[in-house]
Amino acid sequence: MNQRPTLSGARLAVLRSRIDGISRKMAKALTRAGRSGVLNRAKDLSCAILSPGCELLSAADSLPIHVLSGPDLMARSMHRFHPELRRGDAFLHNCPYNGCSHAADHTILAPVIDDDGVHRFTVLVKAHQADIGDSAPTTYFAGARDVYEEGALIFPAVRVQQDYRINEDIVRMCRARIRVPDQWYGDFLAMIGAARCGEQDLLALGAEVGWDVLDSFSDAWLAYGERQMRERIAALPASSAIASSRHDPMPGTPANGVEVKATVRIEPEQQRIVVDLTDNIDVLPCGLNVSEACARTAALISVFNALGADIAKNAGSIGRVEILLRDGSCIGGGRHPASFSVSTTNLADRIVAAVQIALSAILPASALAETGAVNPPHKGVVSGVDPRNGRAFINQLFLGSTGGAASAHADGWLTYSHAGNAGMSFVDSIEMTEMHHPIRVLQRRLVMDSEGAGEHCGAPSLIVELGPTLGSIDIAYVSDGTLNPAQGVCGGLAAGPSSQARRNAVGVVEPLPAWGKLSLAPGESVISIGTGGGGYGHPFRRSPHKVRANVLDGRISRDRAQAVYGVIINSDGALDLAATQLIRREGSGQ
Amino acid sequence: MRFATDTGGTFTDLVVEGDDGLWRAYKASTVVEDPVRGVLDALELAARDHGMSLNALLAKGDTFIHATTHAINAVLTGRGAKTALLTTLGHPDILLLREGGRPDAFDFTVSFPEPYVPRSMVREIAERIDADGNVFRPLDESAAINILDRLRDDGVEAIAVCLLWSTVNPAHELRIGELISERLPGIPYTLSHRLNPVPREYRRASAASIDASLKPMMERYLGSLTRRLNEEGFSGRVLMVTSQGGVMDADALAGAPINVLNSGPSMAPVAGRHFAGREDGRDVIIADTGGTTFDVSVIRDGRIPLTRELWVGLPLLGHLTGFPSVDVRSVGAGGGSIARVDTGGVLHVGPQSAGAKPGPACYGRGGIEPTVTDAALTLGYLDPDFFLGGALPLDLAASKRAIARIAQPLGLSIAEAAAAVIELATETMAQAILQITIEQGIDPERAILVGGGGAAGMNLVFIGRRLGCRRIVIPEIGSTLSAAGALMSDLITERRATGRMSTTAFAFDQANRILETLHQECAAFAAEQAADPADIDYVRTVEARYADQAWEIEVVLPVTQFAGADDVAAFRRAFDAEHQRLYAFCDPASPVDIIGWRVGVACRLKTAGAKRLAAGSSQAPARPSRSMILPNGVSCDAPVHRWANMPVGVRCQGPAIVESSFTSVAIDHAAFHRASDGSLVIEL
Repeated sequence: MNQRPTLSGARLAVLRSRIDGISRKMAKALTRAGRSGVLNRAKDLSCAILSPGCELLSAADSLPIHVLSGPDLMARSMHRFHPELRRGDAFLHNCPYNGCSHAADHTILAPVIDDDGVHRFTVLVKAHQADIGDSAPTTYFAGARDVYEEGALIFPAVRVQQDYRINEDIVRMCRARIRVPDQWYGDFLAMIGAARCGEQDLLALGAEVGWDVLDSFSDAWLAYGERQMRERIAALPASSAIASSRHDPMPGTPANGVEVKATVRIEPEQQRIVVDLTDNIDVLPCGLNVSEACARTAALISVFNALGADIAKNAGSIGRVEILLRDGSCIGGGRHPASFSVSTTNLADRIVAAVQIALSAILPASALAETGAVNPPHKGVVSGVDPRNGRAFINQLFLGSTGGAASAHADGWLTYSHAGNAGMSFVDSIEMTEMHHPIRVLQRRLVMDSEGAGEHCGAPSLIVELGPTLGSIDIAYVSDGTLNPAQGVCGGLAAGPSSQARRNAVGVVEPLPAWGKLSLAPGESVISIGTGGGGYGHPFRRSPHKVRANVLDGRISRDRAQAVYGVIINSDGALDLAATQLIRREGSGQ
Repeated sequence: MRFATDTGGTFTDLVVEGDDGLWRAYKASTVVEDPVRGVLDALELAARDHGMSLNALLAKGDTFIHATTHAINAVLTGRGAKTALLTTLGHPDILLLREGGRPDAFDFTVSFPEPYVPRSMVREIAERIDADGNVFRPLDESAAINILDRLRDDGVEAIAVCLLWSTVNPAHELRIGELISERLPGIPYTLSHRLNPVPREYRRASAASIDASLKPMMERYLGSLTRRLNEEGFSGRVLMVTSQGGVMDADALAGAPINVLNSGPSMAPVAGRHFAGREDGRDVIIADTGGTTFDVSVIRDGRIPLTRELWVGLPLLGHLTGFPSVDVRSVGAGGGSIARVDTGGVLHVGPQSAGAKPGPACYGRGGIEPTVTDAALTLGYLDPDFFLGGALPLDLAASKRAIARIAQPLGLSIAEAAAAVIELATETMAQAILQITIEQGIDPERAILVGGGGAAGMNLVFIGRRLGCRRIVIPEIGSTLSAAGALMSDLITERRATGRMSTTAFAFDQANRILETLHQECAAFAAEQAADPADIDYVRTVEARYADQAWEIEVVLPVTQFAGADDVAAFRRAFDAEHQRLYAFCDPASPVDIIGWRVGVACRLKTAGAKRLAAGSSQAPARPSRSMILPNGVSCDAPVHRWANMPVGVRCQGPAIVESSFTSVAIDHAAFHRASDGSLVIEL
């Protein structure tokens, strides 16, 4: 395949550990040093290392939706726009028409150039920003008809550092347009710092082990990913399945919402999997469209979820998945000036669900239900002026979303966030949220009887109630899942839906639309319920002892235990096993 | 005479400091069901060695220092007391939701961790205090009393209380404490703001829950330890090693047993700091290699850094204590770590371990999987006839058979495969070191690497090379590093408070009042401990961050009080420098927010002796040189030096092997010598 030195499986393991160590170090530096809550409290960030050929090599510790596809496309556009790369260059990229996930994910790309001027790697640092200068105070602008109304500053791989010096023109442009500019600038510095830290470590590694050895590593590492994937797929049955998942209606969508359809074909002879996303509707006049990067990544997330955690996620393994998109489709086929403002979550999560449900039908042993949708008000973007100091503030709230889907192996993860995040982010503490913003979180708890029932249960819903302490606040949100909760698989049931309501100053509760910008005055609060995850397997197959434990823990009522799980729990909390077996025998006969 | 014991999972280590100031080390098996028995067994060994009765030995002792895994084991296995958690109304799921994070985005076989206190034992108290300390909803005392009475009927054994913003206004937590004393007299409880005054309710709730759950059992344990030592003739002072790297009186510990959670590992850096010497203020990395784990800690600017992010159990799956503890990182790599080759042809080492049973293949106890120890034996780093001083003969042929299992799929010779195992284990350990040094802002190339643990010698030199360290020190007491550290540690305590302020609107009065109050409390403690003020050290630190950052860093205050703007500016400079050191940039234009304040005090105990091992009585015969293969595949003939016979200060040149009855150190082309304190010093 090449004339480079061959590496043993041992040497490969050592170098892999070193390269992963570098991407982890970049992520660590960024988490700790960033300014905005979305970055440093929620860790909504990713770091990756790419080959000079723009192939993904390592993205340890990253958010899946940020990195499986996207970094490759962004690096390619960097080369296209800047054919000559020099040491000390860094590029700011958030352009969804050139490979970025969505405009809110500011990304720094820095080419790693050796002493001889040869481009060896590209390091990439991506972080969701607290604000990007949209025309409304949000980074998830569902109502934006197009990029003009969205209003974000778009940077298609713009050089922000030359000879390691920041181009202050661009900083001034951003400071003029991005809300709370000091916060943005702090994050920007932290991102540049993280990228430089990765660059320096890679330069040192190349000097130590030799660039030819690192070239061999890149080849061998990608070949390893490809080999793992080929072997895994070759052992699967030739088969195909179609599934879909529906996003709730919102302004700009058809009246019954958006159905996302996926056809999955497993081709063991070709050792590849084809995910066909072409049968989807056209670009929408709103911010829900999914960028190419996110559409590809969403499909890849489901495939890797099904095939196992041990497969290396790199361009080699990714290359065994063929993803078909249709030009002009809202699923990965949109062009400028379509808005991709909400590209990373809502419809992307529905792509993950459709592919995942199709795969669960083909591969029940690694089945995984649908993950709960986002973004309810308690995960919305909050803004206002803090009466405590007179300063404007804006940030995304991360007060938790449960959402985890049940799998063939385990109950759903309780802090999964959403399908593209996979539980990798942190959850804000009540006290840090209240310290940073003039809000009071009145309650945050699991909702009883809201789990996706099954042999393994999806995570229950989470209810969060919050309101302003002194002045009024705005919350922008896009909550999917009110009408279409997360589906179960293999006999598992759907999860509890999302909902949102306002409690006014005299305590009257009135429902709110699933989408919008909400203003709350002191004395008012929003009651926000985020969705749970779908269940796996028939609930009658759940261990009665687990059901009892859930009843004692107040997660499931005794009534539901009986009605849904066929488990009789006496009023003293004891399990009536005989009665349970009887009910389950009769029930399964229907 | 002073005694220090470290009860670990397998062995109970004892170091006796004689009246001659010299140390003698002993090891007995840990008795899991009765850990005090293991301690007494080790003391018996010492008594016999001294030619005395146990009673006579103990009667000579004035201080008994003890580190134990008893508490952490109870947390790991859920054997703590039946504990209830009281939280603010509306927030019952603090422990359940934790702080998020997941070990692997694509692994659906791992279940979400259970909370430390089950949901069924959480009770919500009708009350609410705001971030500014104002009472938003007053405490409903009669509802609280109702809850407490029902908890009594439920047979609760301990209670943790964590109410929102109790760090800013503790009135409700304090009142709940009074009500517990009234309604459930004798039931131990922990108030979160007293134990761990830090914002972030999960960290307080977790610390309070763990602490409360340990109170009944640790009180029993400490009572039993003291009583039985007294019965055997000891009448001195019993001190417990704490997670913060100091010691405290057993009685005081019973009131806050979470302090003992990480007691053993916290002593390794205390010993490491001493043996590294304090020359030119260099930072120190302490690596402790055991059979299944590799523990790393550091010394930065002469201080042992603390962390609030100690995990009990696996990161993200165990329990985060949120309680300040010496920063010790542990990875699953050690002498017993198993090597395997996956279907894609890539080698893995650990975290699976052959443990003590069956152990590495060369132990001849039925193990067939290749381990790091088998690789070391195959490469000649270990002497099959002189392992643990000859106590355990090793089976070289068995090691080679085991290594052959991976050599074939790797397409390597047995020697090459063994070298690969050492290289990969070295890389895993190096990554563990890099992680802590990055986060603590330490440059490994300028740090001294100190090794402890029986398996340290197999690859410490290679770890040093990988990290670019210039000097490695292996103390002669290395196999009982923690117990030795206990003999050198200070009596410590600390007081913490929260008090938020910005450098742009600095509240001088509030800052000085907090510092003075904390200082007075520490001074009162110190006055009871040390007569000579020269033996008392204070340290003042704050937890601070740039405005809008979320994570604080700990910065030593350059002043004792803030007299004016100059002092604030001095603090600012210290903060910027620390931020630069940790994250490679600083932002002098940004305001700095102080969140937490701490005054710590360390009182030196009776000056220790020589900090040297007493010379062994037996002179082991010299061993012939043997062939050794380095990880890079180079084969060489390595002379074997007996550690105890090496003259002090005489520089030797590698390759070589230095052996003692506790370890065997493989040295490549580096120069090495025995230092005057007995340590082996290797210059890379």
